[in-house]
This record gives sequence, structure tokens and C-alpha cells, in this order.
Amino acid sequence: MARLSGGLIDRTKTLSFSFDGRGYTGHPGDTLASALFANDVRLMGRSFKYHRPRGPVSAGSEEPNALVELRGGARQEPNTRATVAELYDGLVAKSQNRKGSLSFDWLAVNDLLAPFFAAGFYYKTFMWPKAFWERLYEPMIRKAAGLGSLTGLPDPDSYDKGFLHCDLLVIGGGAAGLAAALTAGRAGARVILADEDFRLGGRLLAESHSLNDAPATDWVAAAEAELDALPNVRILRRTTVWGAFDHGIYGALERVSDHLAVPRGVRQTLWRITAKRIVLAAGATERHIPFRNNDRPGIMLAGALRAYANRWAVCPADRVAVFTNNDDGHRTALDLMAKGVGIAAVIDSRPDVRAQGDYPLFAGAVVSDSRGRLGLNRIAVARDGRETWIECGALGVSGGWNPNVHLASHHRGRPVWSEVLHAFVPAPAGGPPGLTAAGAAAGEGSTAGALASGARVAAAALSDLGFAATLPDLPRAEDAAQTLTPLWHVPGEGRAWVDFQNDVTVKDIGLAYQENMRPVEHLKRWTTLGMATDQGKTANVTALAVMAELTGKAIPETGTTIFRPPYTAVPIAALGGGDSGEHFRPRRLTPTHEWAASRGAAFVEVGQWMRAQYFPRPGETEWRQTVDREVLATRRGVGICDVTTLGKVDVQGADAGAFLDRIYCNAMASLKVGMVRYGLMLREDGFAWDDGTCARLAEDHYVVTTTTAHAGTIYRHMEFCRQCLWPDLDVQLISTTDAWAQLSVAGPQARALLERVVDGVDLSNAAFPFMACADLTICGGIRARLFRISFSGELAYEIAVPARYGNALMARLVDLGADLGATPYGTEALGVLRIEKGHAAGNELNGQTTARMLGMGRMVSVKKDSIGAVLSRREGLEAETRVLVGLQPVDAGDPVVAGSHLFAAGAARNTWTDQGWITSACHSPHVGSAIGLGFLENGANRMGEVITAANPLQGQEIALRVVSPHFVDPEGGRLRA
Amino acid sequence: MSCRRISSILKEDASVPDLTPLTALGQTAPMVLTRGALTVTEHPALALASLALGRGAVAPCPFGVQLPEPGLWAAGQGIAAFWTGPNQWMIEAEGRAEEDFARDLTVHAPGCSVTEQTDGWVCYEITSSKGATPILNLLEKLVNIDVASFGPGRATRTGLEHMSVFVIRRAEDRLAILGMRSSAASLWHAIGTAAGRLEEVLE
Amino acid sequence: MLIPHPLLGLRDAQEFTYLGDASLLNRPDGMAEGADRAFFDYAYLRDNPAGVHRELWFHEQGDRSWLVVTRDTTTHEILGAELARDVALKGGARWPGCPAA
Repeated sequence: MARLSGGLIDRTKTLSFSFDGRGYTGHPGDTLASALFANDVRLMGRSFKYHRPRGPVSAGSEEPNALVELRGGARQEPNTRATVAELYDGLVAKSQNRKGSLSFDWLAVNDLLAPFFAAGFYYKTFMWPKAFWERLYEPMIRKAAGLGSLTGLPDPDSYDKGFLHCDLLVIGGGAAGLAAALTAGRAGARVILADEDFRLGGRLLAESHSLNDAPATDWVAAAEAELDALPNVRILRRTTVWGAFDHGIYGALERVSDHLAVPRGVRQTLWRITAKRIVLAAGATERHIPFRNNDRPGIMLAGALRAYANRWAVCPADRVAVFTNNDDGHRTALDLMAKGVGIAAVIDSRPDVRAQGDYPLFAGAVVSDSRGRLGLNRIAVARDGRETWIECGALGVSGGWNPNVHLASHHRGRPVWSEVLHAFVPAPAGGPPGLTAAGAAAGEGSTAGALASGARVAAAALSDLGFAATLPDLPRAEDAAQTLTPLWHVPGEGRAWVDFQNDVTVKDIGLAYQENMRPVEHLKRWTTLGMATDQGKTANVTALAVMAELTGKAIPETGTTIFRPPYTAVPIAALGGGDSGEHFRPRRLTPTHEWAASRGAAFVEVGQWMRAQYFPRPGETEWRQTVDREVLATRRGVGICDVTTLGKVDVQGADAGAFLDRIYCNAMASLKVGMVRYGLMLREDGFAWDDGTCARLAEDHYVVTTTTAHAGTIYRHMEFCRQCLWPDLDVQLISTTDAWAQLSVAGPQARALLERVVDGVDLSNAAFPFMACADLTICGGIRARLFRISFSGELAYEIAVPARYGNALMARLVDLGADLGATPYGTEALGVLRIEKGHAAGNELNGQTTARMLGMGRMVSVKKDSIGAVLSRREGLEAETRVLVGLQPVDAGDPVVAGSHLFAAGAARNTWTDQGWITSACHSPHVGSAIGLGFLENGANRMGEVITAANPLQGQEIALRVVSPHFVDPEGGRLRA
Repeated sequence: MSCRRISSILKEDASVPDLTPLTALGQTAPMVLTRGALTVTEHPALALASLALGRGAVAPCPFGVQLPEPGLWAAGQGIAAFWTGPNQWMIEAEGRAEEDFARDLTVHAPGCSVTEQTDGWVCYEITSSKGATPILNLLEKLVNIDVASFGPGRATRTGLEHMSVFVIRRAEDRLAILGMRSSAASLWHAIGTAAGRLEEVLE
Repeated sequence: MLIPHPLLGLRDAQEFTYLGDASLLNRPDGMAEGADRAFFDYAYLRDNPAGVHRELWFHEQGDRSWLVVTRDTTTHEILGAELARDVALKGGARWPGCPAA
């Protein structure tokens, strides 16, 4: 039918859009649903299970039926409610959950098979034969189930997040919310007013009431202008507050560009709001009354019909009936009549009511059935056992209103049943602290009541916070009491829908009752009631009432439904806050990154770090060639590797040595100034945790290193020890990981190379022996630290300079060392060098190994207390015989695979005969075959024995010889050269 | 006292170092980015050193700057300090990044542990040409701090896109964000993106 | 959650990392008689109350203070927070009902 008069749409502009490929027009201010109604489209979707034809039930975010796929291509967005999708020029929408066209859906055959699809159908039917579940049932169900579809394409839009803080968060911009925001804004409090709609006013936009004898929209506009002008008030339009979290933290989704054809900038912003007090002015949702075939397009909530007529100037039919159990339903009839819509009848279940206008009234009657294949065309009215059929294209149903208690129940706050309102209202306590409901959300449904309650609740919250708030002058408004006689469903034959979206009927609830699925949580899971995308906003309370009737208990005794976040769906993209692609997480670059990149290095992610993995040269076709070259160049000449990623902690203070003695299992206080010592840290449970070096730069100054992986956790642990365990020690800590670029210079020519950069320092073995360290300068005055430590088993140093010089130093060393064979190497070669030398790393320090297993049992000092020392000596760990060994294939061509388990040759392969595992493996160019490190039972006494490595995942069984873990220079002569 | 002090080479007249430093963003000159009213500039000339009180030490007043209380930043002549933890501060020295500022500070802070931090951090200075509002709008997008209580002279450490940062409100229209040097590029991206989005909103 | 930092006021819990029961402050003396038993209890035995719990939080993205936070585990209500260092200097985290380590 044509547009009605009035409405809050801009008729001067026309917007074009399409639905299922057909072009239509609407106006700014329309939703997709209102615009489709204006084009005589009532059928907008198919139900989930039975594929029943469906149209909108509501005019808001509670909508269960009118779900569409919005937009196309990569922006296609499934399950969008047409009732809240703001119309824009060029909007493209498609119906979903159909096979064929919307008006002829092949899967509607499910509707004929309905007797087989009753509650619990899945649980009962697909039980046997067992093997069929995976092969047949599940794929079949998955194909048939679901509503909208995903494109599988990457989302092209950007999402954002932000953090807001306020004194008062007002959720909902209707009568109560506006009154609350005005009260708080005028008092000078910092206020955030959030409303999910694109226009403030809430229900005031949907009603014909006047405020101060003028249209309510005049008052809304004035209030909005005042709030907009207040610097302490922020209005978030198109913003749904979707969850209440601990201590006044709220999640809110702002749909910044959802109303634009192509988002300009950010599509949606996720706000984390921290509020001292919260007013929940989220309004109420109308209830429907289930009756036979109550799900046809055109059968809607009575208040929604009113909203379409008053706000959008549309009505789905020109002849409308109303079915109600309360006075509010009569309002719909009056408002529609005022717009020129014909009222076929008002059917009121209460016997003693009178018509409030010139329309046919059936008092003491109910609607008992309906007809119309793709949309309503008539209803059956039953009174005194007689049924009358009445022609109408739409039916407004009003069963009363449920306050929107959702956010009030997010802290497991349990709403309470009001015998007066016949509805659940937020409990005065037990919900999110600091949150108070106002207006219809608190059961104050009249306009005057909502306004007054919003102002009152805001004033009370502000006075809690120490603001002097005065109640504003509120406009004169209607104050009709809600008089309702509960009617939860119309008994009778056939199917009467309770949950439209998940196709749950009164019969299904009866079946759940018969099968003893009576507690409300069981009812939900047995029938899937309330578990669709609308989370049962229009269904849960009605279902509870039906179950109460069956059990003969009162509603509050039957159960309470509470709600979890989110109030409405929040896209995962928004929850991700916009971090995607290479910005999914921060990336840390080493100081020599630019140089490595310029040399064509391959990079590898190590935690957040990007490290050079190897440096391929022209002609090298395979990574192993490169790595082998880097390893051999280091062992023969000199190799240079960026090791900045190791954690570095500066430890200072008079008790620094004593402190380190307590956190390392070996002694550190006895370390001489100018020397470095290897240190092993245990966890308090006695297992090995982390290792590194400890350099003593002065009596009261050490620099310790941690592994790259544990840099953060070890620093945290050290602060724990300092602050919580030994606060009496004089020790100060600070991380210096990023401050210094640290390069490993390793190989027989390392000294010769470094002598070319240090400023006149004697690096001879006598002057600067193995494990020495010093402050010095290089390259004409650049501050540096030099440590003579080795991870590779070669003569080696680590040199540290302020990070800004790291890149240039790397380039300089490689240039200056050309004649010495100076070769940059990456993490792969680093790994090979350390495996060849038998140094433990992360694979060996995996949290399940002990100092004893690592061959360092004697390092755990018994002369002092240190973290983990006591428990490292407990019986079970003392009896451990698995120790680190080297492993070499008997047949040099065989691989060594980390993770393989070790067995005595010829032994059975099971848990009981398992003797250990391989931790690290690589190809060793030095040895000329694959090699490995592993933990082997009684390993120290099995040198030369041939054992079996089993790798059942790849069907491998390899004969390995047990050897020393030091494949290179077991005597350590090279280190000290 | 100090280790193996090879003092002969710590020449007062050390020749100019012949290695070319890079900024945290891997450039030879600081990067500058302007988005709407906001300009973000990398500040590699800023020297940083941490200062922690040893047992029994009296809080010094290095270079005339009174060490501030928790949550605060105090500025003097070319030197500033902000609180970083109990009995711990970071000292900023303008234009002294290439010097051994930490050593100089040690002299002015008896009984304190001083640690060089200059290259531990990247410092981005953010200025607004339209007063405080763009600064506050940017903060709202980046960090979970109540901007109403983060006026000039405030400094705090917090998280920003999973990175640990110091945020300093140097003035109504000036802000500094210090992040780990190694994640300078990610931080630059985060700040630039947020600033760019503010510009889009203002359009 | 918001944690009332004794020096910095309310700070979002996302800035913190959680460790657990504050009885970890009461580390036994490893050189004392019976240390093995004491460390077994210290390392493995924790009360896990439904209700008021004293626990350790580290202000990792903040001032690097360890805090002892008193929190009701059933409601998440936070009843107080102290610097763990101060608690440790006062003699550890023992409180009525908590067995001395």
C-alpha cells in the first residue's frame, strides 16, 4: 500500500535499493524493513528449521525473522536484521536460508515433515548407526542448517577500537535515557549517552503521544541539541552497549559507516567504556501471544505496527486486526485509524473491556488460527467456542511488555518477577554494580513514568558521586497505567510458534515437559529455544510461562532466564579491534634489520621478533646450502650474528651479587669483576627454567642475559624475587634488551676481526681471557661492551653497542673482515653451531627437564639457598637417569628427527620401554651427517651403543649411535684459544 | 672499582665516531608524519637514563629537576624526569643521545643506580595545531587512560596495541609516546593509523 | 576489572599479569631443617577459596610493581590492594585462616 501521512522520513530524497534482485525505492530515515513494507513486500525470510515464509515481527533489534544478507562481494554480511538496517542509496539485500526463490523454497518440504523435526529430534534420530554421524548426518545437517552465508573473502574494511571514561553511562536514548542524560549533563558530570538506533528518541519516535502538547520529536530535538552543546556529554549514535563487565566496564559497538554504501574510513568501532555509574534505559520488548499458525508474514507485534505507521509512515496492509490482552493493543488500533488504516477487528482476551474508538471489538476472544501461504489474509477469532474468520492483511499482537533486563543480568544478576507488571524486572541488587535501570527497562513504561524515572535514577547516581544534581523540569506526558491480564498462549491444535527464529512451538515445550526436560536450562537445550541469533528476545519469557503452566508452578518458581553478552551480535572483526594482516601483533626488529634486508636475508618470526634466518648468496638454490656455508665459514674463519634478542637485565645495588646468588642455582656473588659466568635458573619446583650469562661490570653492577623466549617472564620473576621475596636486599633492576645491539663474533678469526674495530684495547688471551668482559669504545669513541663468551664452541665474543649503531657495526665487521672470511649468519646456523657444541637451548629447556638431565646437576649449589634448589634434590628428580647425549645415525645417510622417541635396540615400542626422546636435530656440516641431541636413560654410560629412534608419525625407525653431546671440540680448547 | 676499565681509550678528545647511527625506524633522519592537526615526529636526539634509589639514598635533584611523584613528569632546562616505578625515574636529556649521558647522570645522583636507556626506546613527539582536543581524541583511540585526569605534567606507562609504552603529556597540545625501540615501526603504524582516522572523522 | 593501584589509582586489569595466591610471599628458608617438606607445601599446596582471596598481580604494562590484591573470587569485588613489597616487609602474606608456610 502507499505511504501513510507523516513519519520521520525525508520524502524530498529518494533512495534506490534492491532485494533479491528487484529494484525498489525508499527515503532517508527508512530501515530496509520499512522501505520493503512501503513497496508491498512482506515476505523477507525463511525460518531456520521448517523454512516457513516469514516477515518482520518487530521494528527493532529484537527481530527474529527478517534476516537478510546485506551488501555483496567481500562485504556480504549474513543475518542482518532488516528492521535495523538503515537504508542507503544502492543498498543490496538478499533473502537467505532458502533453496530456490524466497516464495518457492524447496526446503519448505521440511515443514511437511514437521512431525519428525520435533524437539530433541537431532538427539534422538542421529544416534545410530554410530558411524553414520561423521559420514552422513553431520555433513547433511551442516549443509541444511545455518542462515546466511559467508563469502570466504577477506573483509576489506577497517575496524577500530577506543577507550572512553565517564561518570555516567546512559544506555538508551529514549524518554528515560534522555531525561537521565539531561539531568547528569546539566550537573556537570561526564556523560556518555549511547543508543543503538540512528535517531535518538527510542519509543518516543514510534508513538503519537505529545509532550507539552507538542509532537514528542520537538522535545527530543531540543534535548538532543542541548546535550550536543554540552562539552561534558558525548552522544554515541548507532552504538549498542552489548555487554557489562566487571567494575563498570562496558563493551559498545559503534556502527560508524554501516549506513554508507562504501564505508568512509572506519566501518565499526569497538569502545571499551569505563563508567562510574550506569543508567540502563534500554526500554522494553513487546511479547507476542502464540496461537496456531501465528508466524505468517503480516503477523507482528502491535507496538511494531504502530512504530511503522508513526515513524516510517508504512503499514504492511490496509486492513489490520489487533489481538491483545492489554490496553496498549488498543492504542495500535487508534494510531492506525488516525493514519487511515482500516481496522478489521480488535480481539481482546479480557471479557470486560470496551472499545476506545470506532472499531469492531471482540472482547473475551482470542485469535485461534490464520491463513495465507506467503502472507496473512485472514484470521480465525474464537469466542465462546465459536470461530469466526476475519479478512485482514496484518495482525498486531500484544501480550504485554518485557523490560530489557539483559545488561542487568550480565553479572548473573537475576531479574525478579513483578506480579503487577507480569514481567521480569531488574533486581534492585545483584546485577552489575553501579547499574540502575530506568524507564521501561525498570517497568516504568508510561512516557511520564519513564521521563521521571530517568531523571530520578540519574540524580541518585550523581549524588553518589558527589555531584549536586537537580531534577529537570520534565514535559507533560501521557501516564497511562498498564492493565494486563496474562495470556501466554492460545491453547489448541496445530503449531503455535514461541521462538520464531529457531522454530520452537508450544508443542515442543510440551514435549520437553513430557520428557522431563523441565528446568529452563534443559528446556533451552532440548528445544534450542532462545539459542538463535536473537537469543530469544521475543521468546524466552513466553516459553517460561508455557512451561510454568504445564508444571503448575508459578513463573518465578519455574525459572528465570538471564542473558549473556552480547546484547546483539558483535562482528569478530570489531572484536579484533582492527589488528589484522601484518599488524595483527607488534613486530620487533633487530638493530641490524635494515642491513640484513639489504643483503637479502630470509627472516623468521621468533615470538614477536623478526630475525635473520640465513643469508642466501647468488647460486645457492636451497636453504641447507646457505646454512652449511655459514656454519663452516664460522668454524673456519669468523661468523657474525645479531643476538640482540636475548633478554638483558641490568642488576645494580650493594646486594646485587647476593640477589643473583638466590635466583641462579650456581654461585654469582663470587664472580670477579670483569668476568662472565654461565648461569642456570630453576623454577621453584626444581626444574630447569632458563639460562644465560651473568657479567659483572662492577662490584655492584651486573648485566644478565635471558633466552629470547623467556625475556619477559624472567624479568617478571626477577621483580617478584626482588619485591616479594627479598625486599630487604639493596638491588635495582631494569631491562636493557632494546638499548644495546649485541653481535656475536665467532670463529678462529674473531679476535683478529675485533682488533680492527676496538679503540686500542689488548684482546690477547692473557689480557682478555675466555669469559672476560669489559666496557670499552670502538670505531673512534663509540661506547661498547665486550664479552668473551661462546655459544658455538669457537673462539667467540659478543660485542654490544648502543642500538643505533648496530646496523653500521654489522656492515663494518663484514667489510673489515672480508679477508678473514667474515660471514654473517642467521638463526639456522646459530642453531646448528650450538647443537654441534651440545649447548642446551629452548628445546632442551622445555620446562620438563632438570639440571641433572642437562648434565649440570653439580651446578646446583648446596652451599646456599636459591630458587628451586631444595625441590631439585627431591627423590624423584634425584633418581632421574635420562641425560643429554649426542646422537648420530649409524648409516650416515639417515635422518635424525626431533621428537622421535628412543628405545634400546630390539626392545618393544611402548611407554614402558621408552628411554627418552630427541630434542634437537640438524644436519651438521662439521660431522658430515645429521646429528641430534636427546635425553636418554642412563645415557652417560651408553656411549657407543646403538639404539633405535622411533618416529611412528612418519613410520621411521632409525639406528643411532650414542655419542658425546659435544660434536665439536669436546675439550674446549677452541674457546680458550 | 669498575671493571677492567680501559680508561686510556675513553678519550676526552675521542675522534668523531665513524659509524653512522640509524634511527629506530631504520632511517638516517627522523621521520615526520602529519595527519590533520597532528604532527608526529621521531625524536632520536633525546637521551634517556633510568635512575633508581639505592637503599638509604636520598632522592637527588639531578640538574636541578625535582624528581616527580607517581604519575607525574617534571621538566627543567633541557632535562626532564618522569616517575616510572617506586623509587625509580626516567631522566630525559634533550640533544644528548650521542653522549654518555648515563655516566654524567651518575655523577649527579649519588647512591643511585643509573642505567643507560637512550636506545632502549623510541620517542615520538606528537603536537597538535588545534589545541588539546586532537591530542585527547588520539589518546582515546590508543590507550586506556582516563584523559580527563591526564593533563599536562602527567606521565604513565600503559599498553598500546600490545606494546608497553610511556605516555607523557608535555603540554595541552603536546604529547610524547615512548615505546620499545625494536617495535618502533609497529608503534609508528599504530599512532599514524589512529591519527589518520581522526582526520577522516573530522572531515 | 579495575585494580586499585596504591600509587596510581584505578588501573585496568589488562595492564596486569596474574600470578596467584599471595602465600607465595612466604617462601621457606631453603637452608633450614625440613626445608624439603616446607617447599613441597609452598610450591604445590594452595588454598582455592570461593570468596575472599589474597593474590599477586604484576603491573607489567605499568610501574612494574607486584601487588597483593584482595578479591572476592565469587563476585570479583576488590577489597583492597597493597604493594607486595610492603606486605613482604611487614612479614609476608599470612593472615587469619592461612596456615603459616
